[in-house]
Amino acid sequence: VKELAESSGRMPALLPADGARGRARSAAPGWPWYVPWLSLALLVAALLGALWVLQLQDIEENRSGLIRDSLWVEQNIQFSLDRGLEQLRQLAEAPEGGDLDQRQLELRVKHLLANAPGLVEIVLLAPDGALRASAPTPLSVPPGGSWISPSDEPAYRLARGTGNASYAPPHASASERQFEVFVPYYRGGQLAGMVVGVYGLKSILSGLVPWWLAEKHRVTIRDSNGNVVAAKSNVEAEGFPELTHQAPLDPPGHGLLLHVESYGSKANLLRNVLAATIVGLAAAVLWSLWALRRHIQRRLDTEQALGEAHAFRKAMEDSLETGMRAMDHEGRIVYVNPAFCRMVGYSEAELIGHGAPQEYWPPEERRHIAEALRASRAAGTPRVPIELELVHRSGERFDVLIYEAPLVDDRGRQTGWMASVLDITERKRARERVRHQEEKLAATARLVAMGEMASAIAHELNQPLSAIASYATGCLNMLQAGTAAPSEICEALQKTTQQAQRAGRIIRRVHEFVRKSEPSRSRMRLNAVVEAAVGLAEADARKRRVRIVPQLSREDPELLADPLLLQQVLLNLVRNGMDAMSETPRELREITITTEPAASTVTVRVMDRGCGISPEVQRQLFEPFFTTKAEGMGMGLNICRSILEVHQGRVWAEPNPRGGTVFAFSLPLEPA
Amino acid sequence: MSEATVHIVDDDAAIRDALSWLLRSRGVSAKAWESGEAFLSGLSAETRGCVVLDVRMDGMSGIEVHDHLLGRGCRMPVLFLTGHGDVPLAVAALKKGAFDFVEKPFNDNQLVDRILEAMRSDEARRRELEAEESLMARVAQLTAREREVMERVLAGDHNKAIADALDIAIRTVEVHRAHVFEKMGVRSAVELAGLLARRR
Repeated sequence: VKELAESSGRMPALLPADGARGRARSAAPGWPWYVPWLSLALLVAALLGALWVLQLQDIEENRSGLIRDSLWVEQNIQFSLDRGLEQLRQLAEAPEGGDLDQRQLELRVKHLLANAPGLVEIVLLAPDGALRASAPTPLSVPPGGSWISPSDEPAYRLARGTGNASYAPPHASASERQFEVFVPYYRGGQLAGMVVGVYGLKSILSGLVPWWLAEKHRVTIRDSNGNVVAAKSNVEAEGFPELTHQAPLDPPGHGLLLHVESYGSKANLLRNVLAATIVGLAAAVLWSLWALRRHIQRRLDTEQALGEAHAFRKAMEDSLETGMRAMDHEGRIVYVNPAFCRMVGYSEAELIGHGAPQEYWPPEERRHIAEALRASRAAGTPRVPIELELVHRSGERFDVLIYEAPLVDDRGRQTGWMASVLDITERKRARERVRHQEEKLAATARLVAMGEMASAIAHELNQPLSAIASYATGCLNMLQAGTAAPSEICEALQKTTQQAQRAGRIIRRVHEFVRKSEPSRSRMRLNAVVEAAVGLAEADARKRRVRIVPQLSREDPELLADPLLLQQVLLNLVRNGMDAMSETPRELREITITTEPAASTVTVRVMDRGCGISPEVQRQLFEPFFTTKAEGMGMGLNICRSILEVHQGRVWAEPNPRGGTVFAFSLPLEPA
Repeated sequence: MSEATVHIVDDDAAIRDALSWLLRSRGVSAKAWESGEAFLSGLSAETRGCVVLDVRMDGMSGIEVHDHLLGRGCRMPVLFLTGHGDVPLAVAALKKGAFDFVEKPFNDNQLVDRILEAMRSDEARRRELEAEESLMARVAQLTAREREVMERVLAGDHNKAIADALDIAIRTVEVHRAHVFEKMGVRSAVELAGLLARRR
């Protein structure tokens, strides 16, 4: 049973997702189920049959034993009676036999009785039937009476008539049933008298039935009416006898029967106990089989439920759109679901057991991914999703969000890491599109605003300029026509001057408006500014697969500057660098930022590995509205130069010896 | 009947003054209005000349003032003064029947030439309108029978045919014909046809 339970416990793992149900159902009522039942029934039947045959044999044996015993008893009795008769005859035919007196008879009888069991009295009768002597009990007959009882009379007469011994029917006496045998004897051809032997029936039985026979059977002698006249038995006669046998007892005849009864023996009881045990054991086996069957049924049901649950869970895993991936502590994949296989384009067999670095990690990102996974698995790290770029077997890149969680088995031991992997390429692209759209909108809005402003300024200036032109033309007209009155000309010129002043005021107002954004300087550390700018550019850089490598001097100089404006300068330079590298192979896309403090200045360099700058472009590089980009406004580097000039610094470009361009700017250090 | 005048509508006093000064230097009378509302309220059926409208004004814009003029049936020629960004607006106004538009800052004597041209065209249009009106008045004097006779004369029918068609005596036709010629101020059928052909 244990083995069965174990094997069924192992089953669900081997079960395929579907079809498990059908097979479990059909296995239950198969051939193994009725064979044990049938063989058990046959075994019980055979055992009971054997018992029955045994019983029959036993009865048969008993019967033959009984018959043998009863025949033996009968013959023994007959033999004993015959021998007794012989001895009585000898006694009668002895020369002095019939004439023995009381005392002589007693002597002879003592010897005779000892050899003839059952013989209780010997009586001598005169030829006329009168009592002559008796032994061992001296009998007497009342005067005028005869010792021969009326029932003995026929036998006596028969003996006298025939001269042969004759048995009388039994009759009751004081102690037991008795019968007599009359033996006549002759002297010289004349009836000389009769020797009568008195037998007690009980004495016969007690003398002739041996103890071992009496142990087994009850031996009785019955008269013709079936009444028990004598019995010998050591067995308790209870109820009906099991077996009986009777045979006529002749001599003495007169309907006497020897009856032997056999009662059940102890062996019988043992057999019954044995049979009961067999039946009991069979019942126990049946019960245990039934219980086992029920147990197995329950196990099958459980197993089926387990199989269904397993199939359901598997179906769920298979239909999941989220990729699932489990790794052990060594970084080997131990489980993947179909969604994950679809994502990376490798089959389950190819992925399982594969260690880091995985095939689907982009070659240049392998170190970065391994570090990101290690960092997220480090103890005490809050569980935040990791955003990574993976590569499909076809070479197509896609972005995923990975949620890592410890994989804990049922004993509470961590066996590895479970990750759900979400493909966010589409989402990211959409977000990117929206961002791009927004940027474009903002740029357009800026342009529109600038256009509005320019238009407003133009309109404002047009008014005085138009007025000035009109006055001047009017004056010229008058002077040419010769109709000019000096006072009129004078007035017009005065008005012209006023309008010129008005135009000047407009221009001053615009200038004041632009000058409102003065830098707000404060003491600040350069490295902090560089790091902040790198942080701002990081998201964009990751999107464009560009690594930003700050190599900052240990010596962190303090500056008096506007940190936000300097950040703007760095951000502009880094963005320019990234734009320049759009055609550069991925593994080379790197922007290095260095700081070099010197005695009175600090120089910051932003080095890209991009396309570089041609000499004619370099000449116009910092001019406003000069751009090489389709969507650029040509203000970026110009703004940078303005900001640095405000800070008494300068900015320039130089070729990168490793390919690409270096944009550098220097700032004066505050005298300590 | 008032004199033909250039009506300058601009919210900028300097422009108003300078343009008036310029026009005066060419001997053109000008009247300045500080807003579209003021100009519209001061406008009458007798007002003649042309209108110089600034597109961009506080209150009513030049375009709105033009729409109001069109709504009132005023056919005075309109010249728009536009800034750099207002060209599309001015083009739309041209399609609605404005005379011209001039971008600021303008070439002043050219502007004056365009103004004079506009005033001349207004004068011509006005004269034509008056001739038309007198013709209409003369036709209105004819009786119904006279008008029938005139239609047939213009169709080239002889008196005899006209009399048969209208079922009247030839003599009567001749009388009607004489009346028509007299009322229309012509001496021959050819002259009558010429007069009415212009109208059609």
